Amino acid sequence: MAVCALHGIGVSRGYAIGQIVRLQRDQAEIAKYHLSAQQVDLEIQRFQRSLAIAKQELQHTRARLPDSLPAEIGAFVDTHLLMLEDSLLTDAPLELIRTQQCNAEWALKIQRDQIVQVFETMDDIYLRDRRDDIDHVVTRIQRILLDGADHTAPPPSNRFSGRIVVTDDLSPADTILMQYQGVCGFITEFGGPLSHTAILARSLGIPALVGVHNARRYLQDHETVVIDGQHGVVLAGLEPPLLAYYRQRQRAEQQRLQQLRAFRNRPALTLDGLNITLHANIELPEDITAALDVGAAGVGLYRTEFLFMNRDHPPCEDEQFEAYRDALIAFEGRPVTIRTLDIGADKQIDGERQNRSRPTNPALGLRAIRLCLREPALFRPQLRAILRASIYGQARLMIPMLASIQEVIQVLQIVRELKKQLQDDRLPFDPQLPLGGMIEIPAAALCADHLARNLDFLSIGTNDLIQYTLAMDRTDDSVNYLYDPLHPAVLKLIHMALTAGHAAGIPVSLCGEMAGDTHYTRLLLGLGLTQFSMHSGSLLEIKQIVTNSDVGELRQLARQALLSDQPQDLLSRLTPQ
Amino acid sequence: MPEREVTISNRLGLHARAAAKLVNLASQFDCDIELRCGERTANAKNIMSVMMLAAAKGAVLLLHAEGDRAEQALDQIETLIKQRFDELE
Repeated sequence: MAVCALHGIGVSRGYAIGQIVRLQRDQAEIAKYHLSAQQVDLEIQRFQRSLAIAKQELQHTRARLPDSLPAEIGAFVDTHLLMLEDSLLTDAPLELIRTQQCNAEWALKIQRDQIVQVFETMDDIYLRDRRDDIDHVVTRIQRILLDGADHTAPPPSNRFSGRIVVTDDLSPADTILMQYQGVCGFITEFGGPLSHTAILARSLGIPALVGVHNARRYLQDHETVVIDGQHGVVLAGLEPPLLAYYRQRQRAEQQRLQQLRAFRNRPALTLDGLNITLHANIELPEDITAALDVGAAGVGLYRTEFLFMNRDHPPCEDEQFEAYRDALIAFEGRPVTIRTLDIGADKQIDGERQNRSRPTNPALGLRAIRLCLREPALFRPQLRAILRASIYGQARLMIPMLASIQEVIQVLQIVRELKKQLQDDRLPFDPQLPLGGMIEIPAAALCADHLARNLDFLSIGTNDLIQYTLAMDRTDDSVNYLYDPLHPAVLKLIHMALTAGHAAGIPVSLCGEMAGDTHYTRLLLGLGLTQFSMHSGSLLEIKQIVTNSDVGELRQLARQALLSDQPQDLLSRLTPQ
Repeated sequence: MPEREVTISNRLGLHARAAAKLVNLASQFDCDIELRCGERTANAKNIMSVMMLAAAKGAVLLLHAEGDRAEQALDQIETLIKQRFDELE
């Protein structure tokens, strides 16, 4: 059997290995029937009976919730129970059955469509997504109406033991019930990372993927599959040796996570009492949840490119404003560093720019701040959106790929103009919004002292800094062997940027891959780095290393590394045992 | 007629669970309680109409009650909203 991999959005980390159970929750197309006047009363009774059964089912689930679950999970079910008592669902369909002389299913569908329409127009993404709750409740009633059966008899309690459930979408009540019945993973075809099912799966610690389109077409009942929640993949058709390999990984991962979770609420304090700031890098909305989940102290790099990708026109100011605002609100006053558009080079967006002739050296071409300064129609709406969002938390504005002080002066000028504009438009913004720059070009590292005097913070982007310092194209496999974060030139440039920031009294962060790579944590601490920003998945591991490090001791080692012509040799002494 | 204004201050706004708490509380009173948010009006005892107010963080709700223990009902609802629905944020 061939191996098959399906991709979706992983909503909780970890591996699940189990047999597939496909559930059909999709309803057949709901048809409209015309009733005779005599049938109307019977139809009304049928609808009311279905409501009563739906309520009994939910009350049954509610009563069986294990005590170990957080109280808010019971509240998911309570919410659905309240909906079953809401006149919009209990009375309005009755009225439709009477006036239109139609079947109950149709009346419920019409009413559902009207309610959902109101939710669709909501501005707030979180509130808008609550239309899913309406659908879960309505689907439950529809199912009872359609099969007419009584579902109150409890299903056997081990029904899903060791199984991975594949379905179109799951209601919170079903999710809880299945957990109680021993389910070990979920795959849903629809739903996003903010759906209740996703929140629940995370909360229950069940590996789950959502948004795996057509999963039920590709996965067969009873076949054994592996869910990799972290990478958002489900693997089917694995031979026994590979399955054994994943079982081993599952055990190792469970152990590792258990140990790491203990670090979530611990301060990132070194053995000699230095407070280290551990920030998360985010891009997609679901990264926010992941960052909050590991207790990130804020966001050191919010990549805004995804807002611009795969579309013909850049997003308008309002759309960007909402995205930045939501991130700021989610982090509740913790810093969120928003990097302005960094496209060009390896990150092309669809649309007009792709049609231009491709430059031979895109990494050295018109990209990032260069492109933004050249195209005000692209740059200004983004800056305005960030300024407007800045009142919702502690926003920081970060400019990528600075090469010279002239670029800083130009950005400062534009920001001043936009602030004046916003004042005239009577739109609020944070007048103190900090402006920082990324040190990615060797020239910027060498002149970091000049930049530091004109900026509020610096952030070292090591991925590009290494590429530019060593003149090796990151996208060219044939020179990848040259990629070396420990090259003496790279270390010297990082050290220069750190020293310049400290001398100017402004914070310096490091947000490249190096920040989340456990090999370099101690070296960077020794070089004087106190702010790391990384993928959320690495944060707890890095925190573990930080709390076991003595920076005083590491400074000696870092000094030796800076002087060494082969710092690689020191690596064994710098990496944790 | 008792009336008052309260600003929604919890992070997620009047979402499903918060709305459920409000509806449960309102249902303990016999008086009629109405919520207004912008141009939309909701019966405080109907969860979906409360959710359909789409009251996000920062939205101002006008509470209005008529009947038995109307003042008390508004007091308790106001407290619930101001306490951010007791959510851990």
